[in-house]
Amino acid sequence: MSRSYDLSGRRRGRRRRASLKTGGQQVARGSFVVAGFLVSVLAGVVLYFLPALQVALRDTGQVNTSLGGTAQLKPVSASENLSSTAPFTLLLLGSDSDSKFKGDYLTQSMILTRVDPITKHVTMLSIPRDLWVRLCSGGNGKIDQAFLHGGAQCAIQTVERDLRVHIDYYAWIGLQGLVSVLNELGGINAVANNPVMDDYYPADLSGGNPFDYQRILVLPGAQHMSGTLALEYVRARHDDAYGDFARSQRQQQILIALRAKTKHISLADIPSLATSLGADFQTSMSIGQVSGLLPIAGSVPLASITQVVLLPPYTSNVYVGGQDALMPNWALIRPEVAKYFPAVS
Amino acid sequence: MKRTAILIALMLASGLAANRTLAVLQTHTTSAALISTTSPQVRLPGTIYVSQQGSIYAISGSSVRRLALPSGGVWTQPRVLGDGSLLVIRRFDAYSDLYHVSSAGRVLGQMTSDDQSTTNPTLQLDHWILWPAVGADGTSVYFATDAPKPAPNQSYEVDFSLWSAPLSAAFSIGDSGVTGGTRWSVPDLYTGGDIQPVPLPNGSMLYASYANTGKGTVVTVLGLQTGPSSRMLSLTTPEQDCGAPAVAADGLTVAMVCTHSGQAADLEVATLEGNSLGPARVLVANCLCNSPSWSPSGDNLLYMNAADPNGNFGLWYIPNAGGAHPGTAKRVTDASVDLDATSAAAWSSH
Repeated sequence: MSRSYDLSGRRRGRRRRASLKTGGQQVARGSFVVAGFLVSVLAGVVLYFLPALQVALRDTGQVNTSLGGTAQLKPVSASENLSSTAPFTLLLLGSDSDSKFKGDYLTQSMILTRVDPITKHVTMLSIPRDLWVRLCSGGNGKIDQAFLHGGAQCAIQTVERDLRVHIDYYAWIGLQGLVSVLNELGGINAVANNPVMDDYYPADLSGGNPFDYQRILVLPGAQHMSGTLALEYVRARHDDAYGDFARSQRQQQILIALRAKTKHISLADIPSLATSLGADFQTSMSIGQVSGLLPIAGSVPLASITQVVLLPPYTSNVYVGGQDALMPNWALIRPEVAKYFPAVS
Repeated sequence: MKRTAILIALMLASGLAANRTLAVLQTHTTSAALISTTSPQVRLPGTIYVSQQGSIYAISGSSVRRLALPSGGVWTQPRVLGDGSLLVIRRFDAYSDLYHVSSAGRVLGQMTSDDQSTTNPTLQLDHWILWPAVGADGTSVYFATDAPKPAPNQSYEVDFSLWSAPLSAAFSIGDSGVTGGTRWSVPDLYTGGDIQPVPLPNGSMLYASYANTGKGTVVTVLGLQTGPSSRMLSLTTPEQDCGAPAVAADGLTVAMVCTHSGQAADLEVATLEGNSLGPARVLVANCLCNSPSWSPSGDNLLYMNAADPNGNFGLWYIPNAGGAHPGTAKRVTDASVDLDATSAAAWSSH
C-alpha cells in the first residue's frame, strides 16, 4: 500500500471526483428524462380516459342517492365480499329522462338480473312498472314510483322487501343515454317478433314539445337497429295485445342482443361510451366492476339465459287509487322469484 | 439548449402517441359502406334490386348502380313488373306510399297519397302501405295497409290487413279501407296483423299472419286464403313461428323464415300440397336471416343475413334451393355493406 503517487494520485482523485460528479449529473439528467417521458405518457393516458374517470367519479360506485320525504333508508352500497366469480344480483332500471320529467324520473323498466360468472347463466325477471306494491317511502303505489320518491335506494329496497330478494348492485340508464350508447356501439342486430306499431308514441326526444305524439312502425324479422329504432322497439306499447308485458319481453330481447356487442368492447372504448352516456347513467358498481362485467356478458350463451315475465296469473288488472294497475299475486310470485334469486338476509 | 428542447418535444410527442394509440385501439363503429360492387365469386344473371340506406340499388353481374329516385323518405321493398319497371315503397316517418318507377328510377306514377296532414293534422289518419306484390297475371297489386282504422284518434288499434287492387285503375287508402280495392284479411287485433302477401298462380294468397296466443306471446303462422272472403288456413304451427314467405315460379315451393319464438331463425323451404304445406327442410339453421326471394326461374334463392351477431346484413344466394340437393350459401355483397334486411331483394330477368 504505497502513498507515493500523491501528485498523480491527487490528479486521479480529482478526475475521479469530477467523473463521479459528471456521472451523478448524468444519472440525475437521465432520471429526469425518463420521468419526463413517463409523466407525458401518463398524461396522455389520463387525458384519454378523462371522460371515463369523470363518469367513474360522478356516476359509478354510488353509495347514497337523494331521498325525498322523511323515510329512513339504508344507503345503497356495493357488496364488499363479491369476487369476480361469485354470482350477483343486479337491478337494471330505465327511465324516461326527457324534459317532461325535469329530473323527477319514474322507472318505466325494472329488470332484476342474476349473473353467475362461473356457470355463465343469466336470469332476467321483468318487474311490471304498474305493479301495485308497498313503497319503501311509505304507502302503496305503482312500483315505478319508488325511484321517483327515493331514487335507486328506494327502488332497491322496495323490490327487496316486496319480492324478498337480495340485490347487490343497481344500474340506472335514461332513454337518451340508451340511444346514445347503442349508437356509439354501432347499433345492434335483433329479431323483431312482430310488427310493432304505435300511433301514440311519445315524441319526447326530438327536441320539440315533449308531450307530442308520433307514429312509429318497427318491421318484423331479423334486422339492424340503430339506437333510436331499438328504443322505439322496446318502448312502444299502445297497439300491443300484452301492452307493458310485451314491452318487457322486448326489453329483455334488446339486452340479449346487446350482449353480443360486449364481446367487442375494449378498455379503449370506455371513454367514448362514458361520453355517450353523459348524465344518463348511474350505478353502484365501480368502474372496475362495470368493465369486468362486459366480458362475462359477452360469454353467456343464448341458451343460458332464462327470461321471466310476470304475466297473469302472477298479476291481475285492477283499478286502484284512481288508476289502472297490476295487483301482484305474491303467493305465486315469491316462490317463482325464489327459484332464481337469493332471499334477502 | 437545443438538446433540451428536442427532449421536451419528444416527451410531448410520447404523451400524444400514447393518447392516440389508445384511440386507435378503440372499436371503431364506422358506417356501413355503400354497395358498389359484388363478390367476385358470385355473378348472377339479370338484375337484382336491393334497398340500402333509403335508396334502391340495381346489381347486374358485378356492376352496381343507384336508381335516380327523388330524394326524401326511404325507398324500400322493390318489386319487378313484367315490363321491367318497378313498384317501390317510399316510407316517411308517419306514412308510406306506393310508387311505380322505371328501372332507372324515374317516377312513372305515385299510386297512393297516405299523408293526410295537408287536409287533417290528426297524425293517426295517416296510413302505411307496405309489402307490395304483383298478382300472377300482372294486372293487380297486393299489399298490407293499416286501414281501416275503426276509431282513428280514439283508439290505439293499428294493425295491418291485406288488400288487392287493379294496377290499371286508381285506388286510395282512407279511414274506411281501400277505395277501389278488395279486402282479403281481417287481422287479429293488437298483434301487428297480416303482412307479406304472396299471390299464387291459382288465385290463392299466402301471407304471414300474427296472432295472439293468449299465453303472453304473439306468434306468426303462414296463412293461405283461396279467395278474398275465404277463411284463413294455417299452414304452419304457432310453435314454428314462421313468416316472410316467398313462393317460387312453380307456385308450389315456399321459402320462409321460422324463429321458433327465439332470437335466431332458420331459413326453410317446403312444398305446397293443395291447401297444406309439406315437410320443411332447413336450408340455413340458427341464422339472422330475413326476406327470402326467388329468382325468376324459381331455382335460386336470395335472402338477407348477418353472418355473425354483430355483422352487417348482406345479400346471400343459394343455388337450386328448392331442389333435393341445394347448393352452398354464398354472400353476394361485400361484408362491409349493410342492406335493409326487412326489404326482400327483387330479381328481374331483364
